[in-house]
Amino acid sequence: MPASTALPVSAGIGLRSPHVARVRAERPLVGWLEVHSENYFVEGGPAIAALEAIRRDYPISLHGVGLSLGSADALDAKHLGRLKHLVSRIDPGAVSEHLCWSHVDGRHLNDLLPLPFTEEALALVCDRVDAVQSALGRTLLVENVSAYVRFDDDAMSEWDFVAAVTCRTGCKLLFDVNNIYVNAINHGFDASAYLAAIPADAVAEIHLAGFDASGDCLIDTHGTRVAPPVWELYRATVARFGPKPTLIEWDTDIPPLEILLDEAAQAQIILETCDAIAA
Amino acid sequence: MPSLHEWQRAFSAAAVFNDAAALASLRIVAGGMKPEARIGIYRANVLGNYRKALAATYPVIKRLVGAPFFDAASDNFVRGHPSTRGDINRYGADFSEFLGTYPPARDLKYLPDVALLEWAIDQANIARDAASFDFAALASVPAKLHGELRFSLHPSAHLIVSTFPILHIWQANQPSCGADEHIDLDEGDDALLVLRRPSDVGGIAIERISQAEHLLLATLAAGRTLDEAANRCAAMAPEFDLAAALQRHVAGNTIVAFRAPVVPASESGT
Repeated sequence: MPASTALPVSAGIGLRSPHVARVRAERPLVGWLEVHSENYFVEGGPAIAALEAIRRDYPISLHGVGLSLGSADALDAKHLGRLKHLVSRIDPGAVSEHLCWSHVDGRHLNDLLPLPFTEEALALVCDRVDAVQSALGRTLLVENVSAYVRFDDDAMSEWDFVAAVTCRTGCKLLFDVNNIYVNAINHGFDASAYLAAIPADAVAEIHLAGFDASGDCLIDTHGTRVAPPVWELYRATVARFGPKPTLIEWDTDIPPLEILLDEAAQAQIILETCDAIAA
Repeated sequence: MPSLHEWQRAFSAAAVFNDAAALASLRIVAGGMKPEARIGIYRANVLGNYRKALAATYPVIKRLVGAPFFDAASDNFVRGHPSTRGDINRYGADFSEFLGTYPPARDLKYLPDVALLEWAIDQANIARDAASFDFAALASVPAKLHGELRFSLHPSAHLIVSTFPILHIWQANQPSCGADEHIDLDEGDDALLVLRRPSDVGGIAIERISQAEHLLLATLAAGRTLDEAANRCAAMAPEFDLAAALQRHVAGNTIVAFRAPVVPASESGT
């Protein structure tokens, strides 16, 4: 299988529609761009044409939000087909999906829903990751998600579940540091235990984003700057896993491009200054 | 312990339909926040995502009815019309049909047709690209076969008819427009052509066309021959200049291709 990621080890930004025209025209100095795969599940028209034009100047990561690796329903073959077609059209540096589920009995909820950390869910997710990697002919990056619930029936910790997925399938991790921080606060665990449990060579990409608070719960809104404790955890992540392609994600109340580039510049400094201690 | 499938079914019922028994069966760890509040975060996210997605596709409908009405309609729509794709951008194909049966929208008879127009615009934006019309190939078709040509429309072309002035309603409810224009719902029927402009121009064109032009394009789009289309148009509007309309729609990229009848080898001449 080809290398899991051909993204440069530098900071990138999530490219969303309000910034497409400017990025295309001005070619800002940033290492790479990530888009939501589903936004380009189109047959033609201006959106995919713009992405193809931008692809000529930047490495692109395709980040899926809807394949639903954890659904007990069968894998959505049409969705996978559309993804495969997009991969062949864009030749991305990385292809990622979320460690979650989003449809049941054919009803899509179009959200990143939490899995119970059971042996049954683990076995199912691993089967699906195998199937997707085999269909795409490449290593998939799988991202840990934020969760606002945990279940009495959980048989293992989140980090043991995540580590088992990468160990059993050979997939790499898209390590979302914000999601780990959010979950550590929401479910009262120590984020450093999470980092320690993940194999040192498993992380291929890192995500950074902002959260909002709702009562006692932190919500992964991607609507603010990266919070100071998340930067702190990012430094620890880079120290543990080495410098990795790192993305600034912003999906609600999308700010001017300059703000995203400024956040990316901060990540870039950490990438260049943190000494890896990973074995 | 339920199977993962049963458990996901219960999660969906609890999150989307506020099903209390389903919520209890999930065995959510409370930990300082009640399960109802925790599942409520997912309910807000899921319903909020659909409100946003539908508002992106149907901005004029939202402006016509206002945000509270629109959000309530969206929540109702979601419960009765599940999304069937992992791509939320394409959600809402049957929103027009839903609005036609949604009791609070009973008096807003024009809403379903305005929604049809907005859906057509959305679809036009993502339709397949098409090569431009091959005039040289057309020139090589013998004149006696012209009546048997079958023309096809650009993949982005959508035809809409309404008994309401939906184009006027749509134009008056663009973000740049003031909110107080009076529109007479009896000002006339609309026959509209929605078409993506060439990429160097950009955007979607919405053009009001005559009933005869609509019939011509609809007949061609249905795969009928030029002769069949001409006969129908002549029956509807004897004064209709079919050749001029055809020329205009080829030049304007509405019509992008044709199929000539297969000529048996014995008749091909050379």
